[in-house]
Amino acid sequence: MICRALLLTPVTLFAICHLACAQAVIEGRVELPKTRLAPVMTKRYEIVTKGGVLATNPPLAVVYLEGAPGKSASLPMKQVAQKDMTFVPALLAIQAGTTVEFPNEDDTYHNIFSYSPAKRFDLGRYRPDERPIPSVLFDKAGLVTLRCDIHEHMRGLILVLNTSHFATTEPDGHFRLTNLPPGKYTLKAWVDSSTTKEQPVEIKNGSTLHIDFP
Amino acid sequence: MKQPQPSNQTGLRSYRTRLLVAMMLVVVALTTLGLFLAQRKVAIEAHLDLLQDFRNELATLHGVQELRQAALAERCRTLVLRPRIHAALEDNALDLLYPSAKDELRDVVNSGDDAETSETALSARFYRFLDGKGAVISPPDAEHGGEVSPEEERALTLPALTEEQQLGYLWRNNSSAHAVDEILTMPIVSTENGEVIAALVLGVKPAEFARNRGGEIKSGIWLNGRLHLPALAEGEQRALASELARAVPQAPASEQSFEVTINGAAQLLFYKQLNPGSLYPPVYEVAVYPLANAIARQRQIRWHAVIAGVALLIVGLIASHFLSRRLSAPVEKLAVTSQHEHTERVRAEAALESTGVELQRSARFSADASHQLKTPVTVLRAGIEELLGREGFSSEVYDELSALLHQTYRITGVVDDLLLLSRMDAGRLQIQIESVNLSQLLEEWIDDISALPDDLHVKLKTNFPPGLHVSGEKRYIALILQNLLENARKYNVPGGDICVAAEEKGEFVILTVENTGPAIPLGAQEHIFERFHRGAMGENVPGHGLGLNLARELARLQGGDVRLVRSDGECTEFEVRFRTAQRTAVSVNGGVAPQSA
Repeated sequence: MICRALLLTPVTLFAICHLACAQAVIEGRVELPKTRLAPVMTKRYEIVTKGGVLATNPPLAVVYLEGAPGKSASLPMKQVAQKDMTFVPALLAIQAGTTVEFPNEDDTYHNIFSYSPAKRFDLGRYRPDERPIPSVLFDKAGLVTLRCDIHEHMRGLILVLNTSHFATTEPDGHFRLTNLPPGKYTLKAWVDSSTTKEQPVEIKNGSTLHIDFP
Repeated sequence: MKQPQPSNQTGLRSYRTRLLVAMMLVVVALTTLGLFLAQRKVAIEAHLDLLQDFRNELATLHGVQELRQAALAERCRTLVLRPRIHAALEDNALDLLYPSAKDELRDVVNSGDDAETSETALSARFYRFLDGKGAVISPPDAEHGGEVSPEEERALTLPALTEEQQLGYLWRNNSSAHAVDEILTMPIVSTENGEVIAALVLGVKPAEFARNRGGEIKSGIWLNGRLHLPALAEGEQRALASELARAVPQAPASEQSFEVTINGAAQLLFYKQLNPGSLYPPVYEVAVYPLANAIARQRQIRWHAVIAGVALLIVGLIASHFLSRRLSAPVEKLAVTSQHEHTERVRAEAALESTGVELQRSARFSADASHQLKTPVTVLRAGIEELLGREGFSSEVYDELSALLHQTYRITGVVDDLLLLSRMDAGRLQIQIESVNLSQLLEEWIDDISALPDDLHVKLKTNFPPGLHVSGEKRYIALILQNLLENARKYNVPGGDICVAAEEKGEFVILTVENTGPAIPLGAQEHIFERFHRGAMGENVPGHGLGLNLARELARLQGGDVRLVRSDGECTEFEVRFRTAQRTAVSVNGGVAPQSA
């Protein structure tokens, strides 16, 4: 159900933007790192570390348009669930100001916290039936590492962005940004915690840009 | 014998004393040796027992310590996996490190005095984190991490971090109650890159110092040349520390024990490095074990040994006293007996000497008398013979002269016999033992007697084998034969018989001479071998009563004898025993030393 909701969200956004104006689109492909056989210890986790760098497995990238704030009011609530001792989704990109709920879908306690500079919080221990669902407002851009105090292996990433124009790539690296406002921006592709690729873009009304990140 | 001479008495006594002293010396030596060995064995065993006790007690102590350390290490290992600590270190939130750790270490770090009471609790007195280079990450304020002075913090730093946990000890400057803390440094391995990114240092109150454990062991810590052994006084600790400073560099990495003297009391000291391989300065566990009890025990054992030894010695001495008396008794008896015998002998010798002197005097007298007699008799005989040679005397005068001449021969015979006897009595007669042909002597005598005019007409019967050899001197054997055979002829009845028989019987040759003369009266039979006994024979029978005596004396001198077998009127029988000559060794025996009477 969550997954469907997650899937639905961009579609809804897209629909709204499309209705408002016929704006530009950027599509392309981010060259993702080759899927390597992760160490056995971390294979089942969504977030893996490679030499101290956090990334998703299988690799995903977040492509966003920096410098285009987009709308800021009434941002929809997002969710990062804990299911089977992992964060789902493992990587979530949100616009700053978004509140994220952390529903516990396991049969055990979780204690979600983060010491990341972008957002420090500690939800404390809570059970699956905790209501209201513990949530955190992410008001500052940056990468937030989610941890569980009870399950030390659990990792999740929330990429807080100062824009509403972002998209998570498909597993093959393809992305598509729509309803982009015209202007000169920097298109960035977050690949892992230490790698963010960028390309300057100039968006014109109604145009469709094709940009690949090698 | 009852009153032995004093010199002998003292000699005897000194013998007994010497025997006693020798035995006592042996007893003392053996006892001492035995006691020494026994005591040494006991001492060695006691020492080994002591060491064993000591080791056992230490092992117990170490067991507890190891258990505690293992528990502590396990706890630390869990702690360093805590996500908050990792988050603080990995997510660039060092400001949250100590606050997070405070929560995590809540159950480990003692919050107050309540931990003082619980000794088994893993009560950390402070904690610090080391960064990836080994330097201390200072806590934001005094509330976190416990009280550690900057100087002490420097002592906590490590030159580098390794994946091994490090054990060390820290001298506390500010605290008088606990001068030393045990520190355990546990590396924190990043979950992101598997590298050691930090380390947790936990300072724990060493449990063994909280209370002196049961038993007599006092244990402490020797670190950086200083000794922490709270059970000992300051001065003693300093003295012991200098002892250790001398001993440890010689055998730094091993367990060692040696004896030391603290305040005049012997102690067994044991040391062992607690943190071999650690990056922290070497720490030695030091334990002292008072030897006072052991020494007292040894002294007691020694006393027992001495008492036992004294008792043993007394028993041994008494035993040796009795034994020496027992042993010397036969010697004493022998000495007394020999003393007695000596006296007797001296007396007997004196008597013998006087007797010998008497005898010799009388023998010399006889000899002198014989010589003195012979000369006038010879002169007398020569005169009578000269008178017989003259003519012109009546036939009665010739008969008288003839009778006188015969009497001179008798005198000569008596004188000769006396001379021989006196020589025998004086012990001057030396007999040359040789092999004598008895048969031949008998034959010669029979030839002689046949040639003589015989007015008695006795018949001679002989029965002896030729070649009978006897041992003796020929002329004396001949004298014996002559005397006996003459007697047999003289004391015979006219027309009587003489039987001469000889045979060899074993080592003797038995010669029997029988005649048919009248019986010797029973009362006279026992006297016939005495000198000058002539029986009841008439004066018409020639003889002087020395013949039988001479024959017996000579026979006895030559190992034989002469005895009267019977004299019953029908027959008078004498038996002569000679020693059989050893024919094969005749020449040898001829040279045998002369026998003296």
